[in-house]
Amino acid sequence: MTRWSFMMPSIVLLLVTLAYPIFYTIDISFSTFDLSTFGADEWVGWANYEDVLNDYRFWDALKVTLVYLVFALPLQVALGFAIAFLINAEWGGRGMVRALFIIPMVVAPVVAGGIWRMILDPLWGLMNYALQGIGIGPLDWFGDANLAMAAVIIIDTWRWTPFIVLIATAALLALPKDVFEAAKIDGANWWSTLWSIALPLLIPIITATFVIRWLGAVKMFDIVLAATYGGPGKATNVLNLFIYEEAFRSLRFAESSAMAVIVLVLTMVLTGIFLYGSRKLEERF
Amino acid sequence: MTIVATAAPRRSSGQLGHRIRIVTGVAITLLFLFPVFWMVLTSFKHQVDIFTSPPKFFFTPTISTYVEYFRRADIERRLINTVIVAAGSGLLSIVVGTMAGYALARIRLRGAATFGVLILLSRGVPPIALAVPMFLVARQLGLTDKHITLILAYSTFLIPYVMWLMRSFFLSLPRELEESAMIDGCSRYGAFFKIILPISLPGLISTLIFSMILAWEELLFALVLTNRVASTIPVAIAGIAGDTINGANWGALTAVGTITVVPVVIFALLVQKWLIQGLADGATKG
Repeated sequence: MTRWSFMMPSIVLLLVTLAYPIFYTIDISFSTFDLSTFGADEWVGWANYEDVLNDYRFWDALKVTLVYLVFALPLQVALGFAIAFLINAEWGGRGMVRALFIIPMVVAPVVAGGIWRMILDPLWGLMNYALQGIGIGPLDWFGDANLAMAAVIIIDTWRWTPFIVLIATAALLALPKDVFEAAKIDGANWWSTLWSIALPLLIPIITATFVIRWLGAVKMFDIVLAATYGGPGKATNVLNLFIYEEAFRSLRFAESSAMAVIVLVLTMVLTGIFLYGSRKLEERF
Repeated sequence: MTIVATAAPRRSSGQLGHRIRIVTGVAITLLFLFPVFWMVLTSFKHQVDIFTSPPKFFFTPTISTYVEYFRRADIERRLINTVIVAAGSGLLSIVVGTMAGYALARIRLRGAATFGVLILLSRGVPPIALAVPMFLVARQLGLTDKHITLILAYSTFLIPYVMWLMRSFFLSLPRELEESAMIDGCSRYGAFFKIILPISLPGLISTLIFSMILAWEELLFALVLTNRVASTIPVAIAGIAGDTINGANWGALTAVGTITVVPVVIFALLVQKWLIQGLADGATKG
């Protein structure tokens, strides 16, 4: 019994705070919701799910979320590794530069959204002022649908790329030196060294970073809430914000639970696919 | 430009390339730091210096925004709440999660592997799927707007996080450590508390600090589960940033933002070596 005693506290806590709520969400998603008792009422089968799948706003939010993910994730991973390469150059200030990269990482996402909202302000913001200096704009960052999405991706990239930079720096430092020495002796050029030696060695860590970042990105909420609140219109209304609004502003708990379950299943399936895919990719190299 | 510096001097591949790499690296770093710098700068401006075109870099500094806003938005109480919740959930998770991480790394248990996979999967659970039922249950039990509710809510993502990081940390320790202790008559608990924990201190501290930072900046659960009494700083910031009725209060936004960010930055820089190590381990050994 002592053997299990190490495990017991976390199992009990997670059953109460994690497993039970998930089952409760599933329960509500198949029921009508009684606002007078604030609880699940009658079993209605798939009705809530049908409502959600017939709601064009759900599909819009899903599309917005996908656009954000498709642009932000590859951008952040690529940028993170590129910057890690740059700041790994050997010189006296290397340690300090790497330490400074922690700073954006510990800025609360809601603060990040707030300060960037100020920087990107069309009238008084610093960004448009700087862009004007090179002859661009003024850009209406939060008034144009595409620009607002770009703004969200920029803010998210600013907040999360440093995280990838730090992981990538450690990964680059851990690369075996003798392999590169051998390549140099064999006269391999820079490009082929990168392509056929460094990249294959880095594939496991690149895919791991991608999966970690994916798990964070599907929770996207704070930055959008602070920077655009889903606007203009619904142009940056990601699923999490949409579900939040449906549940806590419109009090449509049954439908929002159904959406939460759909998001949960989608996330799990895609995470599984990514994990499987990253394993396959590692085998190929 | 060498990808990995080998023992041979890099002069052959060009000093110039090396210099360019350093300069671009530093420039990008400064670019990434700029928004934080701008926030702190703006927080010390008078209202008239905030809304200017071109933006002002030089001005007479003032702390009037801090003084004024501290009273108005309940910032003091929110700060205390955020500290209580971050410390509470961080400590709870580090104790519980470290024990489980040790069990996953060292003790052979039937079903433990399944549990490990479930924990890993749980990192993909969107918090919004937990927020609705937590809100309803807290309401029924009269637990809305209480610190303990937020602490428990945060443990849903902190315990798996700690468990996973500490598991990989313990896996990297040599088995002989506690085996010899247990031969000498230590119990499993004795070996864990007297031998393993002391040498794990750096990993423990960095994990604890990172957990507390995650709790410190959490928004969704805090929005849903608190009203006034236990409300935290991120909720206040979301309120200021989203206040379209009174217009953009950049002074307040940057002042409260600075208060939120600066302590965390100092903390993070103090333990930066461990933080980076922990991050790297978490990614590679997960």
